[in-house]
Amino acid sequence: MQRIATIAPDPAAPMFHRFRSEGGEHVLIVPYSRVFDLPAEDAAAFDGDAAARDVAVAALARPESGEVSLDDVVAPQPQNISLNVSSSCNLSCSYCYAARGGFEGAQAEPMSWPTAKAAIDALLARADPAAPVTIGFLGGEPFVNRELLHACVHYGAAADRHRGFNIRFSVTTNGTLLRAEDIALLRAHRFAVTISIDGGTDVQDRQRPGAGRNAAGSFARLRRAIEPLLADPGRAQIAARATVTRNDFDLVRRFADIVALGFSEVGFSPLRMGKTAGEALRDEDWPVYLEAIKSVARGEVDRFRAGMPIRLSNLAIALKQIARGACSPYPCGAGGGYFSVAADGRWYACHRAIGRREFEMGDSSGLDSEYRHDFLERRHVHAQQACGTCWARYLCSGACHQEATARTDSGCGFIRGWLDFCLAAYCDLSGPAMTTLPEALETVAL
Amino acid sequence: MIKSQPTKLIPRNAPALLKSRETNPKPRLLIGNPISTRLEAGIGNCFPGLECDLRNLERRFFPFLEADMPDATIDVISVDIAGAEAAARDGTLGKANLNGYRTLHAGGSWTVEKIKGTFGSLGQQSLTLADLNVTNPTSFGPRRKPIDPWTAVRMLTEGTNVTLVLRKKHTGAAAHRVTLTGKRARYLGDDGALAEMFLPGEMTQSLCSPWTHDFRDCSCLYWASNHPDIAQPPEPGPKHTDRGWDLFVPWERTDRSLDKPPAAATVNGPSDDAIFGHYEINRHWQDLNFVIEGRERLHPYTQQAFNAKPLANEKDLETHLRYAAGVELAVLQEYLAAMYSLKPDEDLSGTLLDNVRAARAELMRIAIGEMRHLRAVNNVLAARIGKRNYRPALGIASALPPVHPGQKQMPVSFQPLTCEAVRRFIEIEAPSESVDGVYAPILATLNQVAREDEIQAIRTVMAEGEDHYLTFTSIQEWLHAFDEKDYLRAPKMSRPPASNRNHRDLQVLYGKLLDTLYEAYSAGLPDGATKLSGARAMMVGDLDPKAKMIADDGFLVVFDVPKDSRFTPINPPSS
Repeated sequence: MQRIATIAPDPAAPMFHRFRSEGGEHVLIVPYSRVFDLPAEDAAAFDGDAAARDVAVAALARPESGEVSLDDVVAPQPQNISLNVSSSCNLSCSYCYAARGGFEGAQAEPMSWPTAKAAIDALLARADPAAPVTIGFLGGEPFVNRELLHACVHYGAAADRHRGFNIRFSVTTNGTLLRAEDIALLRAHRFAVTISIDGGTDVQDRQRPGAGRNAAGSFARLRRAIEPLLADPGRAQIAARATVTRNDFDLVRRFADIVALGFSEVGFSPLRMGKTAGEALRDEDWPVYLEAIKSVARGEVDRFRAGMPIRLSNLAIALKQIARGACSPYPCGAGGGYFSVAADGRWYACHRAIGRREFEMGDSSGLDSEYRHDFLERRHVHAQQACGTCWARYLCSGACHQEATARTDSGCGFIRGWLDFCLAAYCDLSGPAMTTLPEALETVAL
Repeated sequence: MIKSQPTKLIPRNAPALLKSRETNPKPRLLIGNPISTRLEAGIGNCFPGLECDLRNLERRFFPFLEADMPDATIDVISVDIAGAEAAARDGTLGKANLNGYRTLHAGGSWTVEKIKGTFGSLGQQSLTLADLNVTNPTSFGPRRKPIDPWTAVRMLTEGTNVTLVLRKKHTGAAAHRVTLTGKRARYLGDDGALAEMFLPGEMTQSLCSPWTHDFRDCSCLYWASNHPDIAQPPEPGPKHTDRGWDLFVPWERTDRSLDKPPAAATVNGPSDDAIFGHYEINRHWQDLNFVIEGRERLHPYTQQAFNAKPLANEKDLETHLRYAAGVELAVLQEYLAAMYSLKPDEDLSGTLLDNVRAARAELMRIAIGEMRHLRAVNNVLAARIGKRNYRPALGIASALPPVHPGQKQMPVSFQPLTCEAVRRFIEIEAPSESVDGVYAPILATLNQVAREDEIQAIRTVMAEGEDHYLTFTSIQEWLHAFDEKDYLRAPKMSRPPASNRNHRDLQVLYGKLLDTLYEAYSAGLPDGATKLSGARAMMVGDLDPKAKMIADDGFLVVFDVPKDSRFTPINPPSS
């Protein structure tokens, strides 16, 4: 990994964040996301003497061996790509960022095999074979171009077998076109399958109607098509992803409707930027949305206490990341380890940016490293003025690059509110698990 | 306040623990095997094992069963009934299977009678274990059966469906039977570690002990590296004349005297009384001599001096490196021409089919090895003369180096894999001869001026030449018992006429390949990686099928020198 620059943080950046769980008082050390419990009497001392506290926090915020500096701008080798195999879709969801795969004319034709093969070859030529490599499929609806998708998987699997790569696949699909042979393919490989489904019949049919002559709702078709896959996913991991518009915040019901189909993982994504007026969340909606997703999460926390797995992936992922101390100056791998290849072979920093010049990074014959380095510098969280004074800066990392322009105080307030909830839930839920670790009883004297 | 009474912070997540651990390290007890005992770090084999007995993997080949595999049977040792019940509860195990497991668990000795499944390259088969014949197996041809139950289980493809018919032992003709279906278990998890079903210590049970009877009974191929069956006896003196001292003799011979050369080893192996018996080996294993370079040694070993002389200057080094690259390109084309002259599988049967397949695979492996050498030489060349001055060395040698110093250079010659051709290849690859001789002065020069990685690159090329040499001697052994006409498309094959369309197509592809390689080498890594990868794909995807078509036409597969100054043939250096 090549370090290309360093960007110092805002000197006024908060270094810790105090929060409370059912079990007591806690502190998050912002750099490296270290979570500590504060016994009640110590909490008062911690909050009382700012000078002594700042010295202690500064010591805890320093990296330990194996932890990299958060000031570094690094350009990792491409390790994951998504291929925009299709440029069309059989559904016509009004909020689609890809305009049904056509990206407003930027992606007129589906991807060809030589383009896909060149992209995979280029990825494998650069990727670190010791780390997992992911090839994703997007579009449009990827299964509109199923021949190409199958060909790419077989090609990738051959590289896995014969060239020592550890290749995984991912696909985001509306699920309605899945045939037996597609399901067999998904089962046979390490596929992360994300099914776009917004809720039960009413929500799904309203938000995700068919396209053209087949304009009826998609719920029934989807249910039929994915039933066998959910019943036997093989090696695939199946998750549902639901888009939330400002028209319906009854997430509890939607969650229940989706789970009833047999999904064991369901995630919600609020619509921040909509193509159609009236769908994207507005400032006044964020507190409502926060309460809605917390309602679902509370139900899952109770389930977890009763010994069952957490199905809300927003919560499950957050807990896992807090446990391992996730902390990054970037919200995702865009332009770093991850690229999205358009149907015409151009490499973009992200799949949502197809056709946008400022996100174009090169093609399979090579990346424009100067432009890429510039992009990585610009997108580092230390370069985001609004993030400089936020305690959540290494957990949220400025959020999706595409949505940065839609960032508002209210939207950021939601993210902090949700993280606060997850931090508290982590402390409450990790209690019994932590007692199995002798280190948990060790204390550090400040 | 804080100064008098320090604030106590209790770590809660992983990075917080890291901080406290670094501040206050404390030894911890970890349960499990140390990293040096991981499967990939050990010498895994079987019957029994040195560091890991691979048969122990097969003990858990079927879900919820533990099986033992003595010579001709697969016997159930235990049933994980709790696991089966749990799987039934979460819906991953059907009722019929669950009842089967319950029956097995209820008691009695159970043995596998039939296995139906996918046996790797042997395909889908339904086997009755009693029919497998260890002593007289059908060891070749399609639809062959595995030779014994363990081999059968070993070959089952991971993750495929397996059906077992189990029979309760000692129940006579009206035996009680149970049928189970399940998937052949995955032995490794996604992270490459042993699957959770294996218990600590399970891989290291049934190991052999080097100091006991196994040491005598298991022949050289069994032991990792330190147990030859035969070796040259200790040299009586550097000027000995009796050839007997150079013959290979049994290493474990009872007669340890050195008055005269020990009796030479024979193909049939030593008689029992000529070598240490079971009890003798327990007492005498420390009397066996160290063997280095095939000869027993009684005194400290001194490495032979490296005699090659360094080249005069960097310019000479470049010339020699360019020629070395040309030689790699030439010999690899000779090997390929020979490889494609072998009959295709469908025209062969029996032992010859197996032997030809092995020869073809080895020739391809060697040819690929020469391609790697070509690249290694180019890397060293680029490193020596600097990227700015570097032009890839991709011209074929106009002649090969002489077999023995002082002899004439050999013309590059494409021919089928006749006995004579194999002899030629053995001479080309022999240590200290021909190709090895090209590298000796290069290495001597690099030893004085180059970086360690450049020296190691050339040393590797030389070491692999020795492997090629040994492989060609094996190929000679595999084919010598047969008539050339039995395994060659024709003992005499000529280059295709200019009118042959496949040949013309091949030359176009070859030109493109050289072109791609030239660009890839010029760009170096990582910039040239995509092109390099493309060149590899071209060889496997385009050139290989075309070459097979030429061979099917009955002609030799030869590559013409393109009319391009970048690929002009390289003459041997004058010095």
